[in-house]
Amino acid sequence: MTGPAPAPGLDEPEVVLPVSRRGARLLGAVAMRVAAFVATVLGAVLLVEVLLTLAPGDAIDLLPNGDELRVGLAAEWGLDKPLPERLVATLGRMARGDLGTSLTWRPGASVAELVADTGARSLLLLAPALLLGVALAVALGAWSARGGTRLLRLVQAVSVVPAFLAAYVLVMGINAATWALIERGAIARPDWFALPDTPSAVRTALAIGVLAVASGGLTEMHAACDAELRRLRAAPFVDAARARGAPTWPVILHNLVPPLADIAASRAAWLLGSLVVVEKLLLYSGAGAALWQACRLRDYPVAIGITLVAAIVVAGTRLVADLVRLAVDPRLRSAG
Amino acid sequence: MTRSWMLLTLALFALPATAANLRYAEDQAPAIVNPLFGSTMAEARVNELLFDGLYTDNQDLATTPALAASGELSPDKTEMTITLRDDVTWQDGKPFVANDVVFTIQAMQDKTTLSTEAGRAAFIKTATALDEHTVKLKFARPESRPEDKLLFKILPAHAFAGTSVKRTDGFRNKPVGTGPWELVKYNEDNSVSFTTNGSYRTPVGLSEMTMREVSDKNYQAKLLLYESLEALVRVLPRDLAMLQNNRKVELYPYQTNSWWYVGFNATHAPYDDVNVRKAMSALVDVPSLLAPVGTGDLLSGPFVKSSPYYNHDVNPVANDENAAETLFAAAGYTKVGGAWSKGGKPLTVRIAAHQSLESAQEVAINLQSQLQSAGLTVNVEFLDDAAWKGRVWREHDFDLILSQWTFDRNEDVREQFHSQGARNFTGYKNPEVDALLDKARDAADPFVRKTALREVHKRVHDDAPMVFLWTLDSYAAMSVKVKNVVIHPFYFFTFATGWQMK
Repeated sequence: MTGPAPAPGLDEPEVVLPVSRRGARLLGAVAMRVAAFVATVLGAVLLVEVLLTLAPGDAIDLLPNGDELRVGLAAEWGLDKPLPERLVATLGRMARGDLGTSLTWRPGASVAELVADTGARSLLLLAPALLLGVALAVALGAWSARGGTRLLRLVQAVSVVPAFLAAYVLVMGINAATWALIERGAIARPDWFALPDTPSAVRTALAIGVLAVASGGLTEMHAACDAELRRLRAAPFVDAARARGAPTWPVILHNLVPPLADIAASRAAWLLGSLVVVEKLLLYSGAGAALWQACRLRDYPVAIGITLVAAIVVAGTRLVADLVRLAVDPRLRSAG
Repeated sequence: MTRSWMLLTLALFALPATAANLRYAEDQAPAIVNPLFGSTMAEARVNELLFDGLYTDNQDLATTPALAASGELSPDKTEMTITLRDDVTWQDGKPFVANDVVFTIQAMQDKTTLSTEAGRAAFIKTATALDEHTVKLKFARPESRPEDKLLFKILPAHAFAGTSVKRTDGFRNKPVGTGPWELVKYNEDNSVSFTTNGSYRTPVGLSEMTMREVSDKNYQAKLLLYESLEALVRVLPRDLAMLQNNRKVELYPYQTNSWWYVGFNATHAPYDDVNVRKAMSALVDVPSLLAPVGTGDLLSGPFVKSSPYYNHDVNPVANDENAAETLFAAAGYTKVGGAWSKGGKPLTVRIAAHQSLESAQEVAINLQSQLQSAGLTVNVEFLDDAAWKGRVWREHDFDLILSQWTFDRNEDVREQFHSQGARNFTGYKNPEVDALLDKARDAADPFVRKTALREVHKRVHDDAPMVFLWTLDSYAAMSVKVKNVVIHPFYFFTFATGWQMK
């Protein structure tokens, strides 16, 4: 037998269990993943509140005469309470679905509305970036399997550039080139010009591209996809399809779904981290930029609200990926 | 082929540009447009567009009536009767009346309002409306030129339920003023649109303005060059060369009441020893620190050189390593192996620098280098706004700080150097300086105030609570399309009604 060794667990013979035990194991597996989801979300929210509270300075310190206003504002904003009490209050508010109001970034505005507005804009970057990353990774995996190494090296070289540098260099480069053409009269001034000042499709496309490719993201996704594709091509069921004279790609694609879901879930967490940098650099009014502002201005409710939603997205994506794998792969159901 | 492809791609997005209004950049959009709660310069500038005070500055920076028509000070200087203009209306159409002035002062003074501007009205004991267009102010102590303190913005009483105003009140993003522009809306991209107040009492040259939030300062000058902006409030020193060589941009120098300093924490050893402070001051080569970040005036005390309070008989501290060695020796330090120490303990310095201070990084690193080469161990940290206020202002947790003070026209340094001053976080104490600052505050005669503050300059210089560094030359940059530009050094837009665009 040639090719890489099968991944442990996945290519082992299926253990046949009685139906009742299989059901219990499945329930247990789902319960564990749901518990992990809840723990991740709560942990993230509490961690952010603890870190922001322990960070030097608070929202009142940002005001010119904060010392004089401290007593009144601390009571109004709940900053006069000890940390454990604030954590309990935060969890209580979250349980009631109340994310509070912004203190300093958008004073008085509903955090739920701010998170919904900025989150929706960020989703327009995140979802396409994730899909683009997966599509590029699969395409590159297929390409490299056929021996296309030059393109692979080029992609790796481009992908390794950090997101902040990629965004900055692209903005400066596109602006300089476009301005040169405008000055020469070769083109009329585009409505998106100059980046990144004006909201436009070009700016959005740039953000999606940087998120999908930069900071080694595409290289990592490609490596993961490539490993999965190689494993699947060497799998006995693909050999069997090949021996029958049937096309192998439907079998490979079907079996690629669970690992792809896993890869995409891991990638989603990374993308959320990059989102802060990319939105900040491209002046994009999304949740990443809002989180940066909220932390800078010590706007605890906004920072916690965005963290809550981000944690739900990350942990939720992981949960969905796990559930998809449980649904698609009978061996995982048996193993729990 | 490549060029054709590029042209085609760009042409797909090409549409004619429209730029009928003046667009200016701010690092951060104003969070609250209510003069009771201003905390950033971006907010101060927007307030200048939307609101008026009883008095304002003219182009010679002398006080001149705005909403006031005239004012009469009582002989004992404890009361002032102000007659208001009767041709002013609020942007919602309601008439401007004396009750608006009374309301604004009472709202500023209302303890439950928690106004950041409360201090500006503290000198007023009572405010009473005598009739629709007359207000009587009684002062806590005699005031020789109260109009110089009546520059704060006036709010419409009818827009609030009472004098206890909240920061979160809806007024914050739907403000109503009497100023030359009205706020149209906050846009999705965090920009803010303004249009001319049609009922403003004088002609306004610019029909529209837009404040664009460009949080990354690296882009701002480029956006001006690419004609995506028409105005930059302040040009970074490193962008000056690029802009001054561009024929589509005009630079406007203006004098700000700002000065940079390195402050010592006099609340703990060894910086409570004036010899140590003076020795370290003598180790700082100020011109070398200034050179990489721009040009400006070197200072010897806590006023800008153009100030009437600047004492020109006092010279800036010279960089003199021999003098430093003598002073360190007087403080009990010895130099062993090239490093200063006392009782076997090396002199280690923590410098905290304000992260948002432009060019602070270069200055702090160069300062670190200068002090280290003179035999000190130096660590530098950069703090954001909240950390700065927490660590430096509240907890006094620093050895040296690198920062800047900016003042309005009154240049009141009492808070910084009086032992009871709210912003005296360096812990500087000198009873004689306290007395001089009290005398300056209470002086009815401007000459007495000037003399007292010049003496403050000298005493503070001698005590060396800070290394006074410089006032940077400031430049605004405008598209050449903008004409008749006159800039106010603090509020920027005070004279913007006269600006015009081709």
